[in-house]
Amino acid sequence: MTSYLARRLLALLPVMLVVVTVVFLLIHLIPGDPVAVILGPEATSEQIDDARRELGLDRPVHEQLIRFYGRLVRGDLGRSYFLDRPVLQALAERAEPTLVLMGAALIVAVVIGVPSGIVAGAYQGSWWDRGLMALALLGVCVPGFWLSLNFIYFFSVRLGWLPVAGYASVFQDPVSAARYLVLPAISLGFNQSALIARIARSCMIEILRQDYIRTARAKGLAERTVIYFHAFRNALVPVVTVIGITMAILIGGAVVTEIVFNIPGLGRLIISAILRRDYPVVQGVVLVTAAAYMLINLGVDVVYAFIDPRIRYA
Amino acid sequence: MNGRKSWWILGTLAIVLLSVVSVAPDAAAQKKGGVLKVGNLGEPPTLDAHWTTATITEVITNHIYEGLYSIDAKAQPIPMLAEGMPTVSKDSLTYTFKLRSGIKFHNGKEMTSADVVASLNRWGAQSTYGKNLYARVAEVRAVDKLTVDMQLKEKTATVVIALAIPNNFAAIYPKEIIDKFKPAEKATEWIGTGPFKLVEWKPDRHIKMARFDDYKPRSEPASGYGGKKVAYVDELLWIPVPDAATRVAQIETGEVDFADDLDLNAYERLKKVAGVQPIVAKPYYWLVAVFNKKEGLMTNQKLRQAWQATLDIEPIMKTVAGGHAELYRMDSSLAFAENSLWHTKLQGLPWNEHNRDKAKRLLREAGYRGEPIRFMTTQEYKWMYDFALLSKQQLEDVGFTIDLQVVDWATLVKRRNNPKEYDAFTTGIGAFYDPTQHVYLGPNWPGWTDEPEINRLLGEMAGESDYKKRYALWEQTTRLFYEKVPVARYGDLFGLRAMRKHVKGFDTKPERPRFYNVWLEK
Repeated sequence: MTSYLARRLLALLPVMLVVVTVVFLLIHLIPGDPVAVILGPEATSEQIDDARRELGLDRPVHEQLIRFYGRLVRGDLGRSYFLDRPVLQALAERAEPTLVLMGAALIVAVVIGVPSGIVAGAYQGSWWDRGLMALALLGVCVPGFWLSLNFIYFFSVRLGWLPVAGYASVFQDPVSAARYLVLPAISLGFNQSALIARIARSCMIEILRQDYIRTARAKGLAERTVIYFHAFRNALVPVVTVIGITMAILIGGAVVTEIVFNIPGLGRLIISAILRRDYPVVQGVVLVTAAAYMLINLGVDVVYAFIDPRIRYA
Repeated sequence: MNGRKSWWILGTLAIVLLSVVSVAPDAAAQKKGGVLKVGNLGEPPTLDAHWTTATITEVITNHIYEGLYSIDAKAQPIPMLAEGMPTVSKDSLTYTFKLRSGIKFHNGKEMTSADVVASLNRWGAQSTYGKNLYARVAEVRAVDKLTVDMQLKEKTATVVIALAIPNNFAAIYPKEIIDKFKPAEKATEWIGTGPFKLVEWKPDRHIKMARFDDYKPRSEPASGYGGKKVAYVDELLWIPVPDAATRVAQIETGEVDFADDLDLNAYERLKKVAGVQPIVAKPYYWLVAVFNKKEGLMTNQKLRQAWQATLDIEPIMKTVAGGHAELYRMDSSLAFAENSLWHTKLQGLPWNEHNRDKAKRLLREAGYRGEPIRFMTTQEYKWMYDFALLSKQQLEDVGFTIDLQVVDWATLVKRRNNPKEYDAFTTGIGAFYDPTQHVYLGPNWPGWTDEPEINRLLGEMAGESDYKKRYALWEQTTRLFYEKVPVARYGDLFGLRAMRKHVKGFDTKPERPRFYNVWLEK
């Protein structure tokens, strides 16, 4: 297991290299100029040229790429053009809101998705099944931003129950943090709960047709015992895969949610960095996000072994 | 005589009593305390006022820093850190500024002429407007602790107004900051003399400012951006809220006390919310299509005239303003109506002609054969996209072929500096306080207007100090503008902002919001 983990971690390096190179080239090759944005709409062409020289943006792209690699080797992601601080610091400041939001959304997705899918699968064809799957279909179809804006309108503007937008740290003010998190977590998690529910249902139906389930029933076990002790655990392996994918999707989904609910996380950071062409920040966020994707996948593979003892890594 | 004297005394007493009675409730209502939360559209690119013309930096930094002069309600310069207006030598080449004494920076240091000289020199080397003025400045030097001389190379009437404009302004920093951050390097320590001092800048969360207790207000009443400034609120919290719909929802629920740059479509909705006062911000921008006069199709003056002759501006403005007549204005003057000094009322200008026959004739005379005209716009500012789209329809109806290129703002501001990449682009022109500062009339700004006659008139205006003569030259420039068509002027678009009704003392008239002299009643 240890050597397996070491090999997987080592394999991350070339992938990361490809990712950062592609992102560097993409962001530098698309049109746009951070300097023109910094200096403002009335800046003259001469001022823009001077500032580009000062930031080294007048150098050829390959030269800038080599400098970027050089900094990367030293663990330096560069300095944001706009935020007046190192990229690593900017990322660290925004990691907490994004991680908390993703965690809360994941809890929403799992708490709604897994039981709904198991119940729908166990009672296939019943009204429970139809009702829950209709809801899941709705969940898959409704865009997150639309749901977010409607939540704000009803629960914040009309009813005044929850704040419209903002963020409070769970470590400093847990009560406020919870109030700020409810709407974004539900609107981000709801879509994913639908996906989890549909997969959990299919797996449950598949498992319930297996011979060992028939044997368990023939032994006279109660239906509840058959479902929760024999079928449920086996149905979990594919569901865990989907939960892993869900976490990766949530990183992307958090972008829109963070903007609508004004959460100062990584998603909002990358959008503003792309719009302003803050190259070092874009590269930094993509690097961290790519690493997170790969580590989540690795984590999912490891969890398989614990859920299904038949799976072992050489 | 005694009777007349008694009446005079009685009259004076009555006036004083009336003043006390009428002023007292307001004065009593002004109270210190509270946190004023302002929702604005995003993060400033920097808090170094010398570095950028970005509006958001202007709005925020004018609470931290001050210049020698400011702008009053009539768009005229008034003293701020200078004691009064400068004394000017007989040859008009030396301006002497006396500084106010006892003015402290937020770091506790007293402001002296050394800080002023260093700041002005940095501003002159980096700011768009500073560079413009410094082209005529030979030297700025400290005469004594509170006196500064500015020696000019040539006569110019724009010294004081250039030092007073609030955008990319001549903010006075402590000399130590100037020594640390050269002009080409953005300052990352922000210390000024303004009524609020910066506490912290947490990007994407807030910019927090606190009342500067050692601030020494001027004695003159508040006017425009200048005069007496009092920080009533304990804290000013600028919260970046990039989503316009969220900003509207936050002002409705009271999560912010003031929301800026709102979607014009929210106007009707906000009017119905009990605790909210929508504010129509005017002036805001006049809409403009800037032509590339360095290369390509639009170097042809006839083609630019054809564009101008085509436009039916009223329906365009109405659509851009979401159908609200209160949110736009039809005006051909190059200065806003709010700037009575430079607003013109010239008749017979070829503006808003929507004359299809004239446009078609001009197209023929231009030798235009339907080549695509690259018109660049962005959806990041919805009003820009809307007016570009409507213009395209009108222009194509008379025979233009418009290649509408929709890009993001960062791309637009880069491309517009390259004459090979476009024929026209959209933008908005904000308030200018002197005719010589209109960037679109000069050769150094994208679009590159380099008309000898316009340059001559602007040069004469710069050297002329008599207002009447300057105004006459400005009228000539305006007529020439409509003949040469360096840009196509559309109508004035107003902005929308809103505040909770417990926010008191806010002056709705200036173009950009200021939160000194504002208090909370809750």
